[in-house]
Amino acid sequence: MTNSIPEIRDADFLFVTGSNTTEAHPIIAMEMKRAVGRGAKLAVADPRAIWLTEIADWHMQLKPGSDVWLLNAMAHVILEEGLESRDWIEANTENFDSVVETVKRYPPEEAEKVTGVPAETIRQVARAYATTPKAGIYYTLGITEHTTGTDNVYALSNLVLMTGHLGVRSAGMNPLRGQNNVQGANDAGATPVFYPGYQRAEDPAVRDKFSRAWGVEQNPNPGLNLNDMMKAMGDGRLRGLYLMGEDIVISEPNVERVEEALNHMEFVVVQDIFFNESCRWADVVLPAACFAEKDGVFTNSDRRVQRVRKGVEPPGQARADWQILAEVMRRSGLEQPDYQDPGEVYAELASLAPKFGGISYQRLDTEGGLQWPVETPDAPSTEFLHKGGVLRGKGLFQAVEYRPPFESADPEYPLVLSTGRTLYHYNAATQTRRSEGLSQKQPESFVEIHPGNAFKMGVEDGQLVDVVSRRGRVRCRAMVSRQVRRGSIWMPFHFPESKTNYLTTDAGDAVTGTGEYKVCAARIEPVLEDAPRQVFPGSYASARS
Amino acid sequence: MSQNNGHASQSSDGFIVVDGNELSFREGETVLQAAQRAGIEIPTLCYDERLTPAGACRMCLVEVEGSRLMQPSCAYKASPGLVVRTQTPRVERNRQFILSLHLADNVQDRDEAEDNNPSRLHALAEDYGTLGAWPRVERQRQERPEDTNPFIEFRADRCIACSLCTRYCDQVEAVSAITLAGRGAHTTISTADRLSLTDTTCELCGGCIDVCPTGAMTEKQALAYGKPERELEKVRTTCNFCGVGCQLDLNVDRQANRVVKVTSPPPGTTVNDGNLCVKGRFANDFVHHEERLTDPLIRGEDGQLHPATWDEALDRVVQGLQGVAERHGDDALAFISSSRCTGEENYLFQKMARAAFRTQNVHQCAAT
Ligand code: SF4
Ligand code: SF4
Ligand code: FES
Repeated sequence: MTNSIPEIRDADFLFVTGSNTTEAHPIIAMEMKRAVGRGAKLAVADPRAIWLTEIADWHMQLKPGSDVWLLNAMAHVILEEGLESRDWIEANTENFDSVVETVKRYPPEEAEKVTGVPAETIRQVARAYATTPKAGIYYTLGITEHTTGTDNVYALSNLVLMTGHLGVRSAGMNPLRGQNNVQGANDAGATPVFYPGYQRAEDPAVRDKFSRAWGVEQNPNPGLNLNDMMKAMGDGRLRGLYLMGEDIVISEPNVERVEEALNHMEFVVVQDIFFNESCRWADVVLPAACFAEKDGVFTNSDRRVQRVRKGVEPPGQARADWQILAEVMRRSGLEQPDYQDPGEVYAELASLAPKFGGISYQRLDTEGGLQWPVETPDAPSTEFLHKGGVLRGKGLFQAVEYRPPFESADPEYPLVLSTGRTLYHYNAATQTRRSEGLSQKQPESFVEIHPGNAFKMGVEDGQLVDVVSRRGRVRCRAMVSRQVRRGSIWMPFHFPESKTNYLTTDAGDAVTGTGEYKVCAARIEPVLEDAPRQVFPGSYASARS
Repeated sequence: MSQNNGHASQSSDGFIVVDGNELSFREGETVLQAAQRAGIEIPTLCYDERLTPAGACRMCLVEVEGSRLMQPSCAYKASPGLVVRTQTPRVERNRQFILSLHLADNVQDRDEAEDNNPSRLHALAEDYGTLGAWPRVERQRQERPEDTNPFIEFRADRCIACSLCTRYCDQVEAVSAITLAGRGAHTTISTADRLSLTDTTCELCGGCIDVCPTGAMTEKQALAYGKPERELEKVRTTCNFCGVGCQLDLNVDRQANRVVKVTSPPPGTTVNDGNLCVKGRFANDFVHHEERLTDPLIRGEDGQLHPATWDEALDRVVQGLQGVAERHGDDALAFISSSRCTGEENYLFQKMARAAFRTQNVHQCAAT
């Protein structure tokens, strides 16, 4: 995020897109509600009617996968009406002209045909966004989990750059991270592209630095990203796998292919707090401590490094992940310090990554969280990025053209399936489903379907159905609801006994490799020999219909 | 700094005089806020800085020059030149009166009252004194014993109808699942049609428990556990669910090695401003779940996983990975980490991949 969470309440315009914030980030949603309570305008672009759309001034209920059309049309309006911030563009950006040319071809009236959002709404939102100084954009997986995810982000950032809504309190571009420490894992270098602190792995000087620091010549071959790893497992390029804290059999798209690829592995290590689905393929399973049982740091969406503190001892023989890893490294023959606690590990990280150079446990304990960059021990926390101009040189406009999603509806699979998370569960739900209370509130998987489609297919609310895609078939209950557009269906992905990711495609974004969880073609088949219907208690649908 | 609650400007819009001290205030501030900032203590029961003041409990009354009646400082706006007194005998007598009044309609004994959550009512009674024990008022507030929600219990005999919980639910969580119902001494907290919370718009955030000054709203599970909050140790940590990074306090029973419940730090002190969601506050059963892995497991000749010692398991890990690398090259190994693990663990994990096993094939499972 370029802004901080506490800045949200002071925003005057919020553009929330591809983020069901009340469910995925309830605390950020509280800040949004607070801003709206103060009089801020709210525009939501989402294929579903989500909670926030109830208090929104505009709901742009676009067709899944048509984001680029919508965003380019907003840029079209801004330029057509001369609302861009010329001086700011001049001083802070490059490549503006390319975008001017491209978005000319995206008039709102045409956008209406592709996206389903009325042209007038697109105009109003574009105007309100461009003319409100404290205007922030908030987005999450609904934007990135597409084959066009990177394009979507560029299209958004073009809006930010042409209006100069950056480097100002409460204005900026804010990806809301889905998991507690996505930011921190990236920061620490758990990506093939970067060493810790976003130092490029392709840069020989960077590899040299780490060769010297760790005493091992660094491998110059580019690493595989997650999506490529799944493919490389299938075609035999990968033979050994170490999984820490993840259940790829639930969380990766196109599960069947993942399972098949796991069959080809010669050696698999799984390190986790529960016996997860991937353990079925493990040669060794290592029991780990959970967050309440260890020390460390998490870094949240607004780059805030905060302490995790040990409250209780782990069960049985379970050990903290950092202890296990240090031991594996030692036994592999790597010479390295004998870490006594995670604070020493953090100090090593900080010494190798200038962005965090000024962060230490001592400072975290006295000052609470610190938002990086914090390069020296006396540097302050950085509340928002790009203050007084774009960080490191000029902001680069990137013209993007609409490309249709990997799959679209056809006569055989007439519906478009999107997946997402709900308030009551979390990812593979290994933790939340072990809460009796949460399971009571939301016991099983469901698929949301528009009443129009349901009626045609003879599907009733609460009935068991099969959701079928080119890749698989998953059984769950129908939740007939006007939350979804006609022609679209939506499923949560938390439930192991109805693995939504049997359905999704592993077609990845060209740049990030992120899977297209948000669009795949599907159909629904009612299951006839059904047990009694079961409508979800307290669900949005039952409370409202 | 970033961890404040959004007061960006420190400028002053004038001065008021409180107990003879000149205090600056900002436009829109109340007498209570100006006094609190200056460290002058005024007791409150129904005030929370996140909510619009209700002026319901009368605990915060102060004398304001030019006004015959005492005024609720939580709702009274500061204006230039205002003269306020917070420590006169009249003010102090009012506090004792209010405390006696509420206690007459509440659990008397502090230990009993604080069987789970601490009670601000009882703490204030100890600090400011009362006008003696008044006869017990028959309890008349209606309960909802049929509410089967798993997390939140409402105990009407402790409610003082301060409306903190309902205002929180309206204004912060913004779902209006609970409301004040009935009048006068019958006023109680209820839901539409007296439904279970799980059948309402309630999102089980537990904020109503957190703001309640008496423990009338309380955590069902912690109550059943039977150890009061004051006997638990609070360990400040960061939530392990979404990317907001809420700060929370694990309430730990050291002897039993148990996380009994989770509470939120006070408003205005952390990024989450005293708020938590249902997962952060209540989804912690997994910590002590019986299905937790407790032993290293190694797959044997029989194809089954068997418990093993750490020594055996770790050696097997190293042999297995090195074996693959010898047979197929370093880049035949892949390492997938989790954003659920700490920064240090992710650092060590990529170091392990890059230094101990010499491959760049390392990625965390959530690229977004
Ligand atoms: S738990 Fe949250 S949503 Fe439910 S009644 Fe309490 S404050 Fe309202
Ligand atoms: S339950 Fe607690 S917070 Fe709600 S009105 Fe009663 S005393 Fe106040
Ligand atoms: S705190 Fe002011 S009336 Fe209750």
